[in-house]
Amino acid sequence: MINITGVTKTFMTGCSEVRAVDDIQLEVSPGEFILIFGRSGCGKSTLLGMLAGLIRPTSGEIRIKGVDIGSLSDDNISGLRAKEIGFVFQFSGLIPTVTVLENVLLPTLFCTGGPGSRLRALELLEKVGVADRADAYPCTLSSGEMKRVAIARALINGPSLLIADEPTGDLDVDTEYEIMELFRQLNHEGTTIVMVTHNPDLISYGTQTYRMDKGKIVERPGSSSVSNRVPGPDCILKSKDLP
Amino acid sequence: MKKQMNYLTFILAGIRNKPGRNLATVFCFAFIAANIFSGQYLIAGAVGSVGQGVSRMGADYIVAPVQYSVFLRGAGPDNTFAIVKALPLAWRMNNNILDKIGSVQGVLGISPQLYVSTFNSSELSPSPVEVFGIDPATDFTVQPWLQQPLTDPLGPGEVIIGYEISGDVSSKIQVFNHIYTIKGRLDPTQSAADTTIFMRMDDAYSLAATEGVVPPSSSRISPGDINAVLVRIGPGEDPDIVGTRIRRSFLPSQITVIGRHFALDPASQDIQGLPGLLNVISVIIVVAAFPLIALIAAMVANERRREIGLLKSMGAKRNVIFFFVIAESLVLAAIGGIVGVVASIITLYMLNMQGFLNSALQVSFRMPSIGAAGFMAGIALFVVIAIGSLSSLYPAYTSSRMNPYDAIRGER
Repeated sequence: MINITGVTKTFMTGCSEVRAVDDIQLEVSPGEFILIFGRSGCGKSTLLGMLAGLIRPTSGEIRIKGVDIGSLSDDNISGLRAKEIGFVFQFSGLIPTVTVLENVLLPTLFCTGGPGSRLRALELLEKVGVADRADAYPCTLSSGEMKRVAIARALINGPSLLIADEPTGDLDVDTEYEIMELFRQLNHEGTTIVMVTHNPDLISYGTQTYRMDKGKIVERPGSSSVSNRVPGPDCILKSKDLP
Repeated sequence: MKKQMNYLTFILAGIRNKPGRNLATVFCFAFIAANIFSGQYLIAGAVGSVGQGVSRMGADYIVAPVQYSVFLRGAGPDNTFAIVKALPLAWRMNNNILDKIGSVQGVLGISPQLYVSTFNSSELSPSPVEVFGIDPATDFTVQPWLQQPLTDPLGPGEVIIGYEISGDVSSKIQVFNHIYTIKGRLDPTQSAADTTIFMRMDDAYSLAATEGVVPPSSSRISPGDINAVLVRIGPGEDPDIVGTRIRRSFLPSQITVIGRHFALDPASQDIQGLPGLLNVISVIIVVAAFPLIALIAAMVANERRREIGLLKSMGAKRNVIFFFVIAESLVLAAIGGIVGVVASIITLYMLNMQGFLNSALQVSFRMPSIGAAGFMAGIALFVVIAIGSLSSLYPAYTSSRMNPYDAIRGER
């Protein structure tokens, strides 16, 4: 589904060049839950940005469903994003001026002929557990509710790929657990997910887990430090476990 | 539950989100629209007033039986009344002179009038009431004074009454033993026309044939008799030359040609500079407002960088972002334009009701017609919408080309 070949991204900071992503090779098959973890500043978000077509790589190739997104124009990449990619940000990413339901429906404006509809939006809100807040404005929601709405919005056009950039970064452990369970459920229902996090406790959710450092993937599935971790939600430190 | 999401919902939600800033923007647009509309409205009202005044100045000359000059000799040259109607004198001539006068070079229009009689009626007026016959088809001196233009030409059995004559339009009025329908009423002329009843020439002949209408001391009025011919000369023609030509077309013993002794020129000169001044003020305001509104649009676009980035991450294309930014400005411009025009109409109407416009412009301000006001409102709206769209072109362009990743992270 996704083929990343030799992708590099450099930024200029003043007079010096920073290599944020360095020669990444990655393959993602349909139905996988790819989890990339690493410390802040290791290049995870830049990699996701390139995967979503928000950033153009300096070199290398990214293919989604066989299409080299580097060769597409900005508008064509936008069209691809509207149909094929749902994006969940670390911050809520909700538009504060419209209601929860309208937020979920927003992407339907940019995807003609997609499955997005008012009924589907309500179903998605039901699925993520905030159907009762459909008419509320984002400022009245809790962080967890905002994140759920953002997930519903990312799914409204029926994307084949869900990209999540530190979706639990600002959540308490209970809410983090709920959100991760929601991702797991979506993945079990067939949604391909690529998610980055700086929290190694979440790696057990991934069907494939990678660790990044200094712009490179330094550990891949099967390597000891990754595979030795106990899979499942039990590795998350819950609030009830705290002294 | 709210309605289905659409572009307008999103744009209006964005506007509602910043009421203070958007109110200020709407005020800017309203101020521009009000200025443009008021300027055009005042110009049209003042020019319309002068135009009406010119049309109401009546005839340039009266061609009348030679005895008129004898009668007028004591009046002197300082009469400054508009020639609306002939004098109520019994000297008459035949209407066969009309063609001859009409063919004189420089004559634009002619219209005959016939003085029928004068009578007293306390029901109609405390002053004696005069009755005149006019030709509605050629008349150019009486009908310009109508308070409301006639919807159709003056018909048989219908009359136009002077300002001081009692009676409502469409009601009946009795003149001697004849009943007529009041078709229209004149504005005050400050002349004898205020106590005059005007009717068609054929009705005048019928009335004159009634016993007791024409005094026994006067000769009988026969069909074809007229009292005077009112003459208007063509634009650019020298009144003295045309008057001389008319005089030379007849024997000196036949007619007299009486010129008017007044002019509205000083009034029209007073307002000659007004349209230019108001237009210059409008242009200055538009030029001054343009960068201000452009700055506001740029600030709005910059303030909403993250929102624009989010929309792009959802799949919004460049043209959609461009449309969002322009449309928001257009909606604000349209709201401001409508508010400005409506506020102007209310203000101008109230000022006119209080008579302030008359004193300010030193002319009798005449409210433009609804159609003309609508046209001016359209121009004002067009200008503010044009300003709104042009001033937000650059912010819309830069927003549409914004890198979504940088925009979301709040970076350049």
